[in-house]
Amino acid sequence: MRGYSRTIAKPEINTSEAGLKNGNGWRGLLEKKAARAAARARWAERVASFIFRTSAAVSLVVLAFIIGTILARGLGTALDPSFLFGKPQALKEGGGIGPMLFSSLYLTLLTSVIVVPLGVGAALYLAEFSREGRLVRLIRWGTESLSSISSVIFGIFGMVFFVIYLRFGYSLLAGALTLTLMNLPTVMRVTEESVRAVPGSYREASLSLGASRWETTKKVVLPAALPGITTGVVLTMGRIMGESAALVYTVGIFVRKIPLSPLQPAAPMAANIWHIYTEGALIPDWMRVASGEAAALLVLVLFFNLAAGALAGIIRKKMGIMN
Amino acid sequence: MKPHLKREEKAGPPAPVAAGPADPLRGQKETVVRWVLRLCALVSVLGLFLMVIFLFRESLPAWREAGAANIFSSEWSPDKGKYGILIFLVGTMAVSTGSLIIGAPLALGTAVYLHAYAKPSWKRFIGRGLEVLAGVPSIILGWLGFTTLVPLVRRFAGGTGMGILPASIVLAVMILPTIATIARDSLEAVPKAFAEASLSMGATRWQTLRRVTIPAAWPGILAAVILGLGRALGETMAVAMVIGPATAFPKNLITPTHTLTTKIMLEMGESTGVHRSSLFAMALILLALSMFLIWLVRRLSAKTIKGTSGGAFYC
Repeated sequence: MRGYSRTIAKPEINTSEAGLKNGNGWRGLLEKKAARAAARARWAERVASFIFRTSAAVSLVVLAFIIGTILARGLGTALDPSFLFGKPQALKEGGGIGPMLFSSLYLTLLTSVIVVPLGVGAALYLAEFSREGRLVRLIRWGTESLSSISSVIFGIFGMVFFVIYLRFGYSLLAGALTLTLMNLPTVMRVTEESVRAVPGSYREASLSLGASRWETTKKVVLPAALPGITTGVVLTMGRIMGESAALVYTVGIFVRKIPLSPLQPAAPMAANIWHIYTEGALIPDWMRVASGEAAALLVLVLFFNLAAGALAGIIRKKMGIMN
Repeated sequence: MKPHLKREEKAGPPAPVAAGPADPLRGQKETVVRWVLRLCALVSVLGLFLMVIFLFRESLPAWREAGAANIFSSEWSPDKGKYGILIFLVGTMAVSTGSLIIGAPLALGTAVYLHAYAKPSWKRFIGRGLEVLAGVPSIILGWLGFTTLVPLVRRFAGGTGMGILPASIVLAVMILPTIATIARDSLEAVPKAFAEASLSMGATRWQTLRRVTIPAAWPGILAAVILGLGRALGETMAVAMVIGPATAFPKNLITPTHTLTTKIMLEMGESTGVHRSSLFAMALILLALSMFLIWLVRRLSAKTIKGTSGGAFYC
């Protein structure tokens, strides 16, 4: 919906001095009152408009300040290949973040591989294969509750359950499973929204041709919902990339070598910034490393954020969906 | 929902009569698929139950050996067997209240601007900006707070520059997109005709908002603020980097203190026994708090238009 109309209807009252003077008796009094009320309303409108515009401007300035400062301080470091792909140093200057960058990408991919099928499956169940009932209500309640839980709680749960109880140790897999639980609600929500947005006539056409429900879902509903699902998944990947609190006690915060197996410990960039903050004094140039790493992380996250929208557009075009 | 309407609520049209060349396994296949999808959907419930069970199990020694009276007291010194979490509870409350005081007006102002004042191009641009802001990792906001906000506070107010004030500001930025987008969505969900009727009677935009749109969207706006509060309660990294930390009640807005999340984060790695267990007890209390907030939001959403409110929960 467009903003409200910009023109404000003025009451049909002669508010000029002469008009007010000429009105006698009750009529004049009423007109005077109405004119005053209208003036007050216009004034209030101006103040309100100023306040709302200012808050929007402040929000925008805050965003610009965040991105601007982080990039201004760290982008120079981050774009240096010897930093971006270099070996980290624990006690010396000149360390890079190669293994951290790799850990972040690895973890994001690993988590997506688990959470996307699970989340899409769950959403398909809710949108296509279930009826409103006790079970569906339970699932929705569980999902909503899960989405409200703090990431540090996911982190310590991941630690006691995946790392200790299931004996995965500090590892990419333990982190990926923790993040799966954490991001499942988001993937479920975006998928369910996209699936529900597919017109019912599509399904009816397919079903009336004798296709089963699963065939209809697979061949008609899912392809039509794909652009929306892709956007949501890529946005989620950006969130996984930036997560730190859930990973400190499940994956690890510092490694020297690139982790190859999912059962090895790793150090995603976001968690590594935490490491530098808490034990940074050991690295002489910790400020440079952390600034560079923050800039690299922000660029990656922004990339995922912007790619999300663009990707959906590409898929739409390829499949010839007009909207 | 009325019980006799239930049948019509099922998703999509009824299953068709089998036609064409019969696949003998078709029926079984459908059943298998349905069960697999159902299991996927149950993972979230299973995960939630596992979390509650394991957190409870780990926090059991604290409840048993220290006792609830000890845990809900104000002295925290694990060496002497004192596990009072009141300091952290107060810290969490102070920081999230502060973030709401700073962030909520800004967010609601932005939401109203987007709904009623912005031109379509600005609407899209700022809406996109809010999405980007929501995606900025908390560790980056914490780092930025640590390197810019803390020195600034130190310069103007003295002390270490760390404490509730900088933490509230950082958190305000974090909850801004959450509150703004959900509040905007609930404003947009108010039928257009309401606002049009008011405007056509000669009301100004502000009069329309104040008397018509905002009252109609009120439960959704409240839900947005509560969800923002929930996010503030649970935020860890950004707060940990600017709040101190120190295990003491905050004397004013710029003395170092602790919140539940930062205490858990900073001590989980190096604690054992009842000390560690009491950290899990904190986590359990935090979990209960956020589930209570979600319950509150649910109650509120029940008042708005049915079916449109579901999305608000996850943001």
